[in-house]
Amino acid sequence: MRHAPHAAYSISRSRALLASLRLAVLSFLADPQWLVPSMIAPVIFGLVAYELFLGSGPWFVIYAILGAGMMSMWGQTLYGSGWATGQDRELGTLEPTLSAPTPYLYVVFGRVAWNTVSGLLGGAIVFVVVAVTYGHPLPIVDPVAFALLFAVVIVSLASVGIVLSAAFVYTRYAGFIQNVGEFAFYVGTGCMFPVVLLPFWTTPFALIFPPTWALDALRYQAIPGYHGLPWGFAWDLLGAVVTTSAYLGAAGAVFRRVEHRVLEIGDLSDY
Amino acid sequence: MTDAIETHDLWRTFESRKGFFFNELVHTEALRGIDLQVDRGEIFGLLGPNGAGKTTLTKILSTLLLPTRGSARVLGLDVATQAHALRPRIGLVLGGERGLYNRISARENLRYFADLFGIPVERRDRRIREVLDWVGLTDAGDRRVEEFSRGMKQKLHLARGILHEPELLFLDEPTIGLDPKSARETRKLIRGLVANGVTIFLTTHYMFEAEELCQRIAVLTRGRIVARDTVAGLSRLVGGDRTIEVEGYGFEDAEVGAVKRLPGVSHVVSEEFGPRLRLTLRVRTPELTWETVKATLPGHPELALRERRTSLEDIYLDLVEEEA
Repeated sequence: MRHAPHAAYSISRSRALLASLRLAVLSFLADPQWLVPSMIAPVIFGLVAYELFLGSGPWFVIYAILGAGMMSMWGQTLYGSGWATGQDRELGTLEPTLSAPTPYLYVVFGRVAWNTVSGLLGGAIVFVVVAVTYGHPLPIVDPVAFALLFAVVIVSLASVGIVLSAAFVYTRYAGFIQNVGEFAFYVGTGCMFPVVLLPFWTTPFALIFPPTWALDALRYQAIPGYHGLPWGFAWDLLGAVVTTSAYLGAAGAVFRRVEHRVLEIGDLSDY
Repeated sequence: MTDAIETHDLWRTFESRKGFFFNELVHTEALRGIDLQVDRGEIFGLLGPNGAGKTTLTKILSTLLLPTRGSARVLGLDVATQAHALRPRIGLVLGGERGLYNRISARENLRYFADLFGIPVERRDRRIREVLDWVGLTDAGDRRVEEFSRGMKQKLHLARGILHEPELLFLDEPTIGLDPKSARETRKLIRGLVANGVTIFLTTHYMFEAEELCQRIAVLTRGRIVARDTVAGLSRLVGGDRTIEVEGYGFEDAEVGAVKRLPGVSHVVSEEFGPRLRLTLRVRTPELTWETVKATLPGHPELALRERRTSLEDIYLDLVEEEA
């Protein structure tokens, strides 16, 4: 075998992203604990929501089941993305990964890509299971538009997940921060129910997060007569695109800064 | 051609907070002015006790930690400002139980890192087979890493370190915790790498390992390099390549003083074992023999004397003790 030193290979970021995605799939298959929060629990919540709100009219049922679907997407996409980086710390794989020439951001992108797919799948499963169980499809006005907005929601969640992953690179205490903020974020961004139902002072904070806009837009589209944020569907959609783009754009700078900072601190192997 | 490694006045200070409210800032100087030069193609050993700063220095040189001040160049590149250009050309083996994805196979672990290092797809699988074969893990390649023994994990670490064919490999205590057979196999693998032109920067606790593998050695203690030379050079530095050990009971201070003042004795270490005292003498001249020492202590018929070649462990302990 040849061991002679080799001129450095050129790095492909898309290939690194795909490698990370592949690793995420393999890790998921090897340790399917995420099946519970991402697929099983939301289905149960979805079925319960259907039973609870069946008498309140079809649109209210959609309203409730959306909450269950969001639970899956939120858990898998946002929570899972940060958790995977925390796992890197725990396994001690953060150091060898950062010693590779590929920027860590692309590793995170790969994981988030898988979490996005599995989150979408989880959300879709909620709708399918509820429809199959009760023998009729849910009354969605425009399924194509609904699916597209579903994708917008998931990308908006992913954008937060990517930035949150930086916290896990930065500090081993990120899991604590995430757990503290978990339900505040879940409720505050409208995953569970519309933000307009929350006290008015929470809205400015909620608007910082892309999912707030995307989820409100999704509800405008899915539920006839829905009264969400006062500016309506179009501005919600624009807000979702702008804030998501801002998060994704900032992610590169955030990761560069965080990677530099952790090399200053020197606690990459701590967990 | 530039040196493999060159550092000038390299310092690293860690900050931590203590106290109930984390209001007390504590500074720990892990490295204090390291000057180092490593040639290309050599195995350079870094020895030092726990907490001496070996891993800190290794991490700085392998771009995983920034120095507080001073400069470090590896393969001619600055570790702080040119890390991205340097990383594809160096390998790092931190070893131990951690650092691997345990729930997937060894082959999948290597494939992931091969992709991160940009090994061409058409070459990747062949290269993975090569390194698995090289470390003797071909048959275990498709097993989950969590089923591996400590030695197998260490071999997998090594395989990952050389996967992208680095010019310089950092090995941080590569045989720690391994059984003698695995440790010997690992040392054989390391020699094989050097034969192929790879420069090795090795940190270890094991003196015989450093003595067996390294062309040059630096001794690091309390963040400073206290000596740096070949084993023979270090031996001269601490005062001789022969050691005479004297063990007995009830030595008077005057007797010990007389032994220390013998011509040719360069360094004396005293160790007490209950009532027994052992004097370890580093001897600089061939004229001084154990008979001379015995003649200096006439009132001790029970005296046990032993003469041997000064080992790297002797030298290391002398240097560390002097610094302490």
